[in-house]
Amino acid sequence: MPIHYPRAMLRAHRLHPMEIWGPPHVERHEGSRHFQAYTCDIVVKAMSFIRSGGLGVAKAILVPHTCDALQGMGSVLGDFLQPDQRVLTLYLPRARRGSDHEFLQSELRRLATTLVEVSGHEPSRSDWDEAFEAEHAADEALADLYRRRARLAVPDHDFYTVVRSREYLTAEQFCQQAAALPEGDAPRRGVGLMISGIVAEPALFDQIEAMGAHIAGDDLACGFRRVYSVSAQADPFERAAYRLLSSPADPTCGTPIQARVETLEARMRALGARGLLIYDPKFCEPELFDVPLLRKQLGACGFPVLHVEFEMGDRLPHQTLSRIEAFVETLS
Amino acid sequence: MTRLEALPHYVESNRFEHFVNYELLGKTALRVQRWRDQWKIARRRPRPDSPLNPPLRSVVHMKEIMSRHYLEGRYAAGVRKVAWVTSGAPTEPLQALGYFLVYPENHAALCGVRRKAQSIAEEAEHAGWSRDICSYARTDIGAMISGKTPAGRLPRPDVLVCCTNICQTVLHWYRVLADYFECPLVLIDTPFLYGEANEHEVAYVKRQIEDMICVAEEIAGKSLDEARFQEVMTNARRGAELWLEVLNRSQQRPAPMTAFDGFIHMGPIVDMRGEAVTVAYYERLIAELDERIERGIGAIKEERYRVLWDNLPIWFKIGEFSKWLAERGVNVVASTYTFAWGELAPMIDPTQPLDSMARVYLHPILNRSTGHKLDSMRRMVDAFELDGVILHSDRSCKPYSLGQIDQRDRLVKTLGVPALLLEADHNDPRDYSDEQGSNRLEAFIEMMEPRA
Repeated sequence: MPIHYPRAMLRAHRLHPMEIWGPPHVERHEGSRHFQAYTCDIVVKAMSFIRSGGLGVAKAILVPHTCDALQGMGSVLGDFLQPDQRVLTLYLPRARRGSDHEFLQSELRRLATTLVEVSGHEPSRSDWDEAFEAEHAADEALADLYRRRARLAVPDHDFYTVVRSREYLTAEQFCQQAAALPEGDAPRRGVGLMISGIVAEPALFDQIEAMGAHIAGDDLACGFRRVYSVSAQADPFERAAYRLLSSPADPTCGTPIQARVETLEARMRALGARGLLIYDPKFCEPELFDVPLLRKQLGACGFPVLHVEFEMGDRLPHQTLSRIEAFVETLS
Repeated sequence: MTRLEALPHYVESNRFEHFVNYELLGKTALRVQRWRDQWKIARRRPRPDSPLNPPLRSVVHMKEIMSRHYLEGRYAAGVRKVAWVTSGAPTEPLQALGYFLVYPENHAALCGVRRKAQSIAEEAEHAGWSRDICSYARTDIGAMISGKTPAGRLPRPDVLVCCTNICQTVLHWYRVLADYFECPLVLIDTPFLYGEANEHEVAYVKRQIEDMICVAEEIAGKSLDEARFQEVMTNARRGAELWLEVLNRSQQRPAPMTAFDGFIHMGPIVDMRGEAVTVAYYERLIAELDERIERGIGAIKEERYRVLWDNLPIWFKIGEFSKWLAERGVNVVASTYTFAWGELAPMIDPTQPLDSMARVYLHPILNRSTGHKLDSMRRMVDAFELDGVILHSDRSCKPYSLGQIDQRDRLVKTLGVPALLLEADHNDPRDYSDEQGSNRLEAFIEMMEPRA
């Protein structure tokens, strides 16, 4: 489950992660038998997916503590529903102090003991080294994709399809996909937008392109917020903790609002974005609290902000698209 | 204009204003008001048409204590250091350092009880905050940007202390406050306990409390006095023990107070735990409850059904619910919410203040798993001999509400206890439908009929 988790640690234990961001094509029905209507789609649809046997091949479900909704999901799964898979949890600190680093290392050690039970494999030193090398290569490939974005000759749909393939491919497969994106004359026409929020399906980018705009950069939980810094500490837990606590500004990690504003402003200027589109699933409190201040403070810097909430589904609602279209027109 | 300058209603006082308006005139006026209220209660004739017995006499003292607290708040800025804190924050060191504490959640509840919450929350909504965020947060952000408050005026904070043991929402909310007030935000991050607490989790919280003390000392310009700290801890433990005794008095039949009374009488243990006045108040309240028990006086006249309330109250409906349910013989005698401020009393150890605080502040019911909450409800059903459970599905409080659907199912299927999921919100009347609510409550009472 989203958002941040220790990939190399899973690999060292011979486990491969497949992420669930509330599969958009899944109905809410089954999940709604456990969660109220005011619960976000990511949690409810993921629950539907799990309950309908969608995770048959998985050995465990890892629920990182990202927000109150995912906390509830982890707890309900573990306490009441008890699926075939082992339910694992990970508490992620909401700041980046010395105490947070120390805590996270201990928390990762705790998780590692349960991973051994799940996988039946106790990683050796070489397992750890191999895992970190592979996952860091993939982290670097993701960071490099963002650095090269303006030179890539692919539309946003294809770019984000590759970015999000990190959610299910192995590190090696992801590196191959990233390397395969061709450079050349980028088909980037119209107004540049920065997109922020939790998750956006690639179909959205086709629509935005049809409106005469393109994505100059993103601040998505499923995208740029997972461009981690690479480190080389000897201790695997220290190394994994450093990676998780080095992610870019992110409200779910407690980044101060002012720091978010400054980061977004700097990136928008550097990338040539003309406005910010905040695109969130309904009922996402970590995102909702920041919106008025982002709007006010980025607006004062000359960057208009549009906030759109959506319900995950097969199709993008017409009303949502109309609002984005009007926003693009005002920026043109 | 700085963001702080955009909040002109946060003004500083001086020692003279504080002394005259609070110490001299304010306290005297509140004492006179209490005498007047006592006189009124003493002269009040029993109302035969009311399903409720006369209210607890102690309530006038509680009103005086709470009013005094908010009155001092009007003149605290500039005179005392002010900390805005979450309801589950480890405040004992701050109290020992002489901070004046403001609890935005309690303030929002006050707005709810006075039926001002919606209009104040709308100030926040007009400024862009979504109706989907917590209504406490909307109420307080609305009060912050507009200056509207039934408390008259709140003091500007010198520091914000946010503890995540009640929800993650408070972190997002306090980030907004920090942005406006441009003051330090101290975070006490408490890992959610899916099971039992691990030592590294306790150590993490302890270290953060130590760090908070360093920040608080620096802002206060003085060091923590160990003797005073221990005194506050002793009061905190005694206050929590007494509060737990207060709540457990409702195990008696008939219960001498309702959970709705409890929601009101919890003010001192939330806002002033660690203070001698809180200890004295609960001693007085227990004495009155014991007197009622001895005389067989219940909170309601005809107690046919005894019920548990889960989650926060619906503040704007407390009075109406209390009467409506009493008319039907329903006494809501216990609540998982009010117990949260008492059940951890045995963990408070004044001789090991930091270690015990770390454990205590990790263990509130809201920081524990949905299964743990179900176990708590099961224990309460037995201890209070309950006939049913009302689970308030609180749109604003996701950590408390998520899990209730499965909890209800298990209460019904494994314990055979009628349980109702009541959709509402703790502070926003727009999220409660009277007609739908009373229909569902009527059906719930019918389900309890065979148990009467």
